[in-house]
Amino acid sequence: MSEDTFMGAPREKIDWAPTIDYTKCNYCMECVEFCPHQVYEVRENEEKRLIVKNPNNCVVFCRACGKTCGPDALSFPNKNETTKRIKEIRKEMEQSE
Amino acid sequence: MSKDYAILPCNGLDKLAGSLTREIALRIAEQTGSEIICPTFYRVSDVLYNKVAAEKPLLIIDGCGTRCAGKLAAEKVLKIAAKINVTEESKKHNIKIGSSLRLGENELRLCELLVNNILKDELEDKASQDLKETVVMPAELDYEIYQKDKFVFRLPKEGFYFTENDCWAYVTGNKARIGVTDYVQKSLSDIMFYTPPALGSEIEQFGEAGAIESGKAVFEIICPVSGVITAVNDELLDYPEYINDNPYEKGWIAELELTDFESDKELLLQFEEYVKIMKRKVDEFHV
Repeated sequence: MSEDTFMGAPREKIDWAPTIDYTKCNYCMECVEFCPHQVYEVRENEEKRLIVKNPNNCVVFCRACGKTCGPDALSFPNKNETTKRIKEIRKEMEQSE
Repeated sequence: MSKDYAILPCNGLDKLAGSLTREIALRIAEQTGSEIICPTFYRVSDVLYNKVAAEKPLLIIDGCGTRCAGKLAAEKVLKIAAKINVTEESKKHNIKIGSSLRLGENELRLCELLVNNILKDELEDKASQDLKETVVMPAELDYEIYQKDKFVFRLPKEGFYFTENDCWAYVTGNKARIGVTDYVQKSLSDIMFYTPPALGSEIEQFGEAGAIESGKAVFEIICPVSGVITAVNDELLDYPEYINDNPYEKGWIAELELTDFESDKELLLQFEEYVKIMKRKVDEFHV
């Protein structure tokens, strides 16, 4: 098992990453400093100075950067939906084998 | 009878939630005789507050997820007795906080609610003791040891299920005890606060089953199984460091009555699978 998979499902098929609410984000960059997986990228000269660059680096079910966010600008997908989707992907893989 | 606290608010002027921590601190101090620690002064010079911080139970009031007061307590190596996060509470009680720095009607309503909750907390603490743990663990666990530099990571070899999010479940009959692995506690380093899941709450697999917190981060306990919370480890409220001592034994998090273990099992890992993942994570990250 590698980081390209999560619970046996290909990581790129699992929709799990933070969404930045740009009406709330104050670009304090606490999330960037916190996340060790390079999910975010800082773009100093652009209007949106912070983007989710590598969504598939985000650890599925982890919402820890969201808990560091002062302005509460980060949101994540619904966990139940994600769990269901992982189970579906695994079934599809079994059937195609 | 309310607790006589040392109150450390973040007192932030960055957003209204910070201003609210000041008002909450003032009201609790007025009603209980608790003493307020000024975070600004405390950072510069701690002599004035060392005595009160050491002698009274510490109440942390943070405005937002930046956790300035919590981090200050970590820097000063203080033991936290109770904690409020105003932003989280505003969501929980569905009371919106405005964008001005002045307290308005909504903020004062939230303030009153939170002050009342803190003042009555002690009574509820006593009332919540009636649900006790029922999962019996083996007297001795056999551990695989993996060492990286000076850090030693333990992993129980038998009877445990794991998740890729570094949590474990020990299942007997229709009950499970859950917790975190050594990888989590080592990554967080000194754990200073435990927020238990609510007794009786129903949690889906991978849902949030409370949280643990260090100066570095807040770690959401990602529940390995679905079920209803039947017991929480009350001892961690006073001794969150038990999770650092041993997260599989004295540092367990909670117990659940299982609701769909056959289905949950599909996404759980056995020792042989998780140990490889843990070793890879340890090798990749210098904790």
